[in-house]
Order: sequence, then structure tokens, then C-alpha cells
Amino acid sequence: MKIKKFLYSQKVAPYVFVLPFILSFAIFWIYPLCSSIVMSFQNIEPKGTSWVGLDNYAKLLKDTVFHTAILNSAEYMLLTLVLLIPFPMLFAVLMDSRLVKAKGVWKALMYLPALTSVVISGTLFRLMFSEYSTGQMNVITQALGLGTFKWLKMKGTAMGALLLVACWRWTGVNMLYFLSGLKSIDESLYEAAEIDGASGIQKFRYITIPLLKPTTVYVVTISVYAGLSMFLESYMLWAGNNSPNNIGLTIVGYLYKRGIEKNQMGYACAVGVVLLVIALIINMVQLVLNGTFKKEEK
Amino acid sequence: MKRKVLSSILCAAMLGSLLAGCGSSSDVATDSSASADTAGSEEAAETESTEEEIPNSTFGDPNGTHLEMWTFVELHGQHYGNMVEKWNEENPDRTIEITCTTYPYSDMHTKLLTSLNAGTGAPDICDVEVGQFPNVVAGEDLWLYPLNDAAAPYLDTMVTSRMETYMGADGNYYGAPYHVGATVMYYNMAVLEEAGITQDDVDAVVTWDDYAALGERYLEAIGNEDGKYWTSVDTAGTDWLWIAMAQYGEDWTGGFDDPANVQLESVSNMLTMQQEWLESGLAEVSPDGHVDLEAGFQNILDHNIVSFPKALWYMSRFTNYMPEESGNWYIAKCPVFEEGQPCSVGIGGTGTVVTQQSVDVELAAEFLCWAKMSEEGEQLIWDNLGFDVCNTALWDDDEFAHDDSNKYNAYFRNYPYDVLNEIKDEIGKISVVAISPTINEYVCNTTLNEVLEDGMDVAEALQELQDAVDLEQ
Amino acid sequence: MAKDSKVTTTKTKVASVFATGFFAILCALIIFPVFAGLLASFRPGTELIRRGLAINLDFSTMTLDNYKYLFGNNADGKKYFMWYKNSLLITILTVVLTLIICYFVAYGLAMYEYKLKNLLFFLVIATMMVPFEILMLPLYQEVISLNLVDTYAGVMLPGLCGASTIFFFRQYMMGLPKELLDAARIDGATEYGISVKIMLPITKPAFAAMGILCAMGTWNAILWPLLVLRGAEKFTLPIGLNTLLTPYGNNYDVLIAGSIFGIVPIFVIFLIFQRYIIDGMTVGAVKG
Repeated sequence: MKIKKFLYSQKVAPYVFVLPFILSFAIFWIYPLCSSIVMSFQNIEPKGTSWVGLDNYAKLLKDTVFHTAILNSAEYMLLTLVLLIPFPMLFAVLMDSRLVKAKGVWKALMYLPALTSVVISGTLFRLMFSEYSTGQMNVITQALGLGTFKWLKMKGTAMGALLLVACWRWTGVNMLYFLSGLKSIDESLYEAAEIDGASGIQKFRYITIPLLKPTTVYVVTISVYAGLSMFLESYMLWAGNNSPNNIGLTIVGYLYKRGIEKNQMGYACAVGVVLLVIALIINMVQLVLNGTFKKEEK
Repeated sequence: MKRKVLSSILCAAMLGSLLAGCGSSSDVATDSSASADTAGSEEAAETESTEEEIPNSTFGDPNGTHLEMWTFVELHGQHYGNMVEKWNEENPDRTIEITCTTYPYSDMHTKLLTSLNAGTGAPDICDVEVGQFPNVVAGEDLWLYPLNDAAAPYLDTMVTSRMETYMGADGNYYGAPYHVGATVMYYNMAVLEEAGITQDDVDAVVTWDDYAALGERYLEAIGNEDGKYWTSVDTAGTDWLWIAMAQYGEDWTGGFDDPANVQLESVSNMLTMQQEWLESGLAEVSPDGHVDLEAGFQNILDHNIVSFPKALWYMSRFTNYMPEESGNWYIAKCPVFEEGQPCSVGIGGTGTVVTQQSVDVELAAEFLCWAKMSEEGEQLIWDNLGFDVCNTALWDDDEFAHDDSNKYNAYFRNYPYDVLNEIKDEIGKISVVAISPTINEYVCNTTLNEVLEDGMDVAEALQELQDAVDLEQ
Repeated sequence: MAKDSKVTTTKTKVASVFATGFFAILCALIIFPVFAGLLASFRPGTELIRRGLAINLDFSTMTLDNYKYLFGNNADGKKYFMWYKNSLLITILTVVLTLIICYFVAYGLAMYEYKLKNLLFFLVIATMMVPFEILMLPLYQEVISLNLVDTYAGVMLPGLCGASTIFFFRQYMMGLPKELLDAARIDGATEYGISVKIMLPITKPAFAAMGILCAMGTWNAILWPLLVLRGAEKFTLPIGLNTLLTPYGNNYDVLIAGSIFGIVPIFVIFLIFQRYIIDGMTVGAVKG
């Protein structure tokens, strides 16, 4: 009886709720995470493991290919933030309004790309961006009288292709987050605003945006990491981890290159730790500025 | 109301598929219940073969030694399946049961390296793509079992350069090859004939100069039509450079003993020659970077290029992707820079290894070498996989080499093995060592693009490449 | 007065046509590649090589052969549906367990004030930022020592407490009014009772969004299942389909048809879940 009372108290209940996370963290995270960090200070070879201190990190500072990868990932991340947050949010608000007919159809279609496996969508986009005359992009430019382009060999068009794949895949998903977030907003607030004579834009500005903030914060946070850690899309577009002048190389692609293709797990772990640190810093700054850690959000 | 209907549909769907899952394999049920209560519960989830006729990937004698084999090409697995039956007939006292699992290409190598690093979980026998070989062999006898003894009976007649490709730094053989991958020149004879070029003209080509001259003649004959070229040069593949190195007897990796040096006469000559070809309109840059991707096949099918050098295993691309070209193509020796140079090099390939984690390394090694190097094994490799086999004892065998029911023999205008016999002593090798991935990566990502797309000075580009390589060694 | 409302209705109608038209065009662009894939799935692989992704309705080159082969009584077809079933099982179990676990964890993070709260929340965020590739090797070793290798438990357990799912639920709950809880407590409801009876019903849209997302992630996951699973009879669909892409040639026939048909179950899950996004929070629900 006492135990029951203890477990049911308002003090203990939160710990009971978060227990699965604590367990999962203790079992599946602490050991792998620590050992990866340890590995980043080691040189791991089949013949044996040796301690190299900060050598891996020192090498990263000089590694120009790694710098290319960081710049590519950062650029991709920033551009996806610009493209994949405001637009899906607007689409969600529009979709949520009474103006759009046959909503179910549009939502289903917009979500379809995310359901398609990366293997197949990557292959399809690779064929569409083929530099050969039968690639769809070249069919279009030829019809416009512009001739053919080597889409995946030039920096600008290659980034464009990556962004197109990203927008294609994630616009629907981000819209879904916002749609679900919109549902947490009390309808009566809008009704009250209407009575006060607020315009549509005013309602969006003063009710939707502030009340959608938790969802927006979530989408920003995951987009930062997803942008920085993009790899598969690039791997599929170039049918492998190699692209001309490394225009498609990303941080995780580089990690993969080192860890798997060259079997330098120690160095790869250093790359991974750098990614973790970058992503964590950006997101912690962003979350703290947004007040996500504050006691009460109002 | 509507909601209730939907949620009951959802529940029914879940239940249905759960039952379906449990019905098919009982061990799944134990796994999921294990996940439901405690993580530690060690339900022995032995893989019991189910009654349902799931396609079998286990072959041989269930009472024999059980070997686990991984590959990334399903046909390879079937090869061992066929061979294990024959082995059990011939060796009733040491029978084998083998399970061959096909994994996705890059993930299989990831999984192999992870389990070798982890010291547990690796298979007995595993296919390793040649580009990945340095990573796996780096462990020497810690990870892999040397095949020297098991391969000994066949070494006399095996193409030596091919065996050496899968050698470790200690001089032991660690991998059994499937094929030679000898480079040859493929010509679209049907199109050439329309332009008045005969097979004799093609046979008369000895040097790259002859080759280029014949190309000029072809382009002139078709009126220098737009978009038509003699050949295409690669920006995402090193084949041409390997051919050049083998012809000059050079090797940019430096093998196991010397540091890598990419500033070689052969490489420089080849790149300079290709730049000239691009300028004169004799060649174009391969769409998608090389001829072994979708756009490359289309380019060939559209007759935009009519000749290119490639390894003999490219024959299967013709039969698989370009069936309508049957009877048009001719295989010939590759041209050389100077008369008297060897003309070919072994490219690509997959070495099969035996890991030290195997339950019976000796048996696994013996079976592997027999399955891949004996005449019985090689016969099946040629018939089913279409590779130029490494055991030269078979090359002269009329029944083997001139079998007209073989689809490759039927597809091409001449017999592939006739060409192979001709170049038998001219097949060189470029080492695949730890630095190889670094060189390949930089060449394919940067150097070739700079030289062939942007027209950068060859010496300058090679210096840049050398600097990049030096950072890693 | 009457005239005024007439103007607004025509205005609304025009706006409605534009808004609907906008989504129609957007969707047409979005489904274009899927449509191209669908067409390609009806053509032999050699046709794909020959003409690329030709977007035309040339029926002479279209056949049902790829699907006949997929559904046929042959080794590839049987394997395909074996993988299909495995994927379905893993996906459904994972989605159900993940949603339940993550909901309660998020509830604990969102609804209470206590000492370790911010630290725990930080850990949740941090675990989202770790690239899986560096955890792979040690996690694999751990799973081997826990004897979970080659089991679906080994595939699912490490991911059940999905950080991004927790995070989303938490954010969603932060946006909900807390007054309800206090009212329920005064009525004598227990903490656990509140979480199930009061909070869960108004969190449905979040459940739906996360259900869809989790299903999608699990259905398409490849690297971890591949490391844990040993035998082909336990493989999931993406692993199986990826074996068709090799440096020795790609089997486009089965790959494209198989991938296109692989969208079906996940699409059904989507249709089921998305209903719940529509009925969000109504005033009635909030006021209890």
C-alpha cells in the first residue's frame, strides 16, 4: 500500500514515466557512445589498437577533403532550412483552411515521396538528372532550346539536384508535422480574433505562429541534424560515395569513406564526434534562444 | 463511429499480420515476446528451417560441417551451392553443408568489417570486392586464413598476376579469384562495316596511333556526324590508366614496399593522348563518367561510340542490357603505346576469402579453392557467371572455349577465349594495397575531371594528385 | 448587407479554386518521379537502359511481366513476399511499441517540474545528434553479448525509445493547456490515470504524425537490421531489394516493380493514421 502510494505521488510519477528512456539510454547508449569517443583517440587497425591522443583531430584540421564535406553539409543544411520550414508551414495553414477541397487526396500525394525507399527514389532521380539526352531534366532544357547539361558534374546544379530531392521527399512530411501542430491550437482563439475583426494575416501572425512554435522548434531541430547528416541522397544520386570534385560529399559520407571504405574506424569516429559537437552546439543555442528549456512556456 | 471502425480495422490488420508472421516461423514469436518483457531474456532463437517452401540458400549434407558464406551477387552463392553437391559426392567422409547469404553490396562489406573488427560474427567464407580487399587483408593472419596450401594443386595453371592481386603484405595468398578481368578492346563491327572498315583493319591495329588513325578514318567515312565519336574516355574510372601502367610495366601504388608515385610516364602519356583525342573530336567524355552505368549503355546502344577498352567481364553487360546488339560486336587485343609492350591488365574482380573465425579453416580453404580453381569449378563459372576464368588449362580446351551454346560465344563475332589465348602472357597487374582507395578516389573525383573536363595541364594535375596521396602515406 | 455577404462568398469561391488548384499543381509535380517509376515498373529493364525514364504511355513496350514474376511461383517472388512479411511484422511491432513508450516518456518530460528534467531532455536531444555510423561497431558488439544477434528483438530494441518521437510528443504537449491536469487532480484522478484518460485523447494528432513517421523509418531502415540479422529468411524488404543492385549489374526488372509495390503497406498505414490528424483539439475536448 505504501509502495503504491509512493509510486503514485506527484514527485515520483515523472521518474516512472521517463524510466524507459533512462533504461534505454543506460543499456544502448552509454557504452557505444563512450567507446566511440574513446575510439576517436585511437588508431584502430586489424593488427591492434593504439592510443594516438589528439592526432585524429589534428589531422582533421588539415584535411581539406573533410573541410569540403563540412562546407557541403552546412550549405545543404542552411538551404534545406530555408526551403523546408516556411513553405511547408504555409502549405499546412492553407491546407488546414476551409478553402481547399479534396484535402485527403493532396495530403496523400504529397506524402507519397517519403514512403518511397531511398534506393528507388535515388535511382529515379539519378536517371532524371542523367547528363545523357534522355534524362528528364535534359529533355526539358532541350525543349527550351538550351541544350543538354551535365547536371551532376557542376557544383551549382548538383546542389540543386540534392535540394530538389530533399524538397520532394520532406515537404509533405514537414507539412504533416505542422498540420498536427495546428491541431493543438484552440479553435476558440481564432473565433475570438474574428469577433475582434482580425484579418487572416493578423490571425496567422499573432495566433498561428506563436502557438505553432513548439512544433516549429521541433522541425528546426530535426532539420538541422538531418541536413548536416545527409548521406543517402548523395550516395544514390552519384551511384556511390564518389562525386566529381567531391561536390556531393557530406560529413557522413566522409565518415563512411574513412570508417568503411578505408577501415579507419578511429579517424571516422573523430569525424562523427565533430558532427555531434557541431549539431549539438547549433541546436542547443537554437533551443535555448527559443526558450525550450525554460520552466513554463506561455 | 467512423473512428471506431477505423481503429478496429487497424487492430485487425495488426493482429492479422502478427499471426501471419508467427505462423510462418515459430522463432519470430519468441523474439517478439522477448522484446516485450526483458532485453536480457535469452530465448534460444535457433533458425529452424520451416516447412514452407522458402527458396533455399542452404545446400549440401545436413550432417556435414556447416559453413556460412556471404556474397553480394546471388549467382555467386548458387555457384557454391552447385559445387558443394559435387564435393560431397567426391568426399563422402568430409561432407559440407553451406548456407549462402546474399547481402547488398556495400552493406555486406560494412558487415564483414564490423564483424571482423568485433572478433565475432564473421562467416566462414566471404566474397570481397577487390577495391575493399586491402581493408580486409590488412589483418593478415589475424583475420584471414592463407590459401597457399589449399591453392597449391592449381597454381601451375592459374594466371599468376591474378593470384597476386589478392596477396597480403606477407606474401601469402588470401583470396581466390573468380576471373582474370583481362582488358580487351570492344568494337562495334556492324557499324564499322557500314563505314567501310573491315575486321582485318581492326586486327591490324597495334599501337594507340594506329587506333586513333582508324578512328579518324571512321569519323571521316560517316561525314564527321555530330554526336558521333570513336570512343569515350572516363572521368569516373581508372581503367584507361591501369591499361597504360601495365603497358609500361609501372604501378602507381608502389606495391607493398615502395611509396605510391602517381607521376608516371604511362599515366601522363595516356592523359595527354586523351586530351588530344577530346580536342580533335575523336573521343567524348563518357556520360556518367564511365561506360558501366545506364547512360554509358545508352551511349553504346545509340552507336555514339563504336569502340572502347574494358575488361572481359563487361560481356555480361552486353548480354544483359543490350540483347539487340547480338552479333554486332567484336573483341580484339587492346592497342599499346610502343610495339612489343604487353597489352592487357586484369581489372576488377572479387576475391573469396576464408576468415579465421571459421569453424574449420582447412576444410573451408580446401573447398573454396576447389570450387573456384579446379576445372569442374571453372567450367561452371564460365557457363553461369560468364567470367574469363583464371585456370589457363581450360583456355585451349576446344569443348570449353568454343561451345556455341554458351551465350557469350553466341553473342560476339569471335570467341572470347581465342583473344584470351592470344594475350595469355601479356596480362599485367596493378597492386591493390592500403593506399589504393585513396588514389582511386582522388583520381576519379578530381584529377580526371580536371584533366578531361576542364583541360588542366596533365603534369600540374598529377602533382596535385601526388600531394594529396602523400598526405595519406 | 446581403450584397456584402454575396461578395465574400464569390471571393471565397475564387480563393478556394486557387488554393485547390495550387495543391493540384504541386502534387502533379511531386508525383512525377513516382509516376515515372510506376511506368518503368511495367517495362523490361532493357527498355529502361535503352530509353532512360521515358515518360510516355507507349503501351507497346509495357508488360505485366515484372509483376507476374514478382507474384509468380518462383524463388525471387517467394523471397520477396517473405521479406515483405518480415518487414510488416517489424514495422507494426515497432510502431506500436515506440508510440506507447515515447508518449509516456514525453509526458514525463513535459508535464512535471523536477530536478533532472532538463538534463534528461538534453540527453534526448543529444542522442538525436549522434551519427549512427560511429555507434555501429560498439552497439553491434553489445548486441552480440546480449545474445540478441539474429533476432528481431535485437533489431527493434535499441530504437524503441526514439529520441525524435519523444521530442515531438514533448513539444506537442507543451502547446496544450495544463489547466486540465489540475482539474483532474482535484477530481481525484491519479497521475497515470490523467496521462491516459485526459492527455492521450487530445494528443491523437501527434500520435498520427509520429505513427506515420515511425512506420516510414522502420519500413525503410536497412543498415542496422542488416548488421543484426544473419539469414536471408529473416531479412527485411529493403535489405532484399538492395541485393538487386550490385557492381556486377542491376536487376531493374524486379527492383523497380518490387520497390513500387513496397509502397503499398506503408501507404495503407498512412491512410489509417492520417484520419486522426483531422479531428484535432476541439473546444469541447479541452473543456472536458
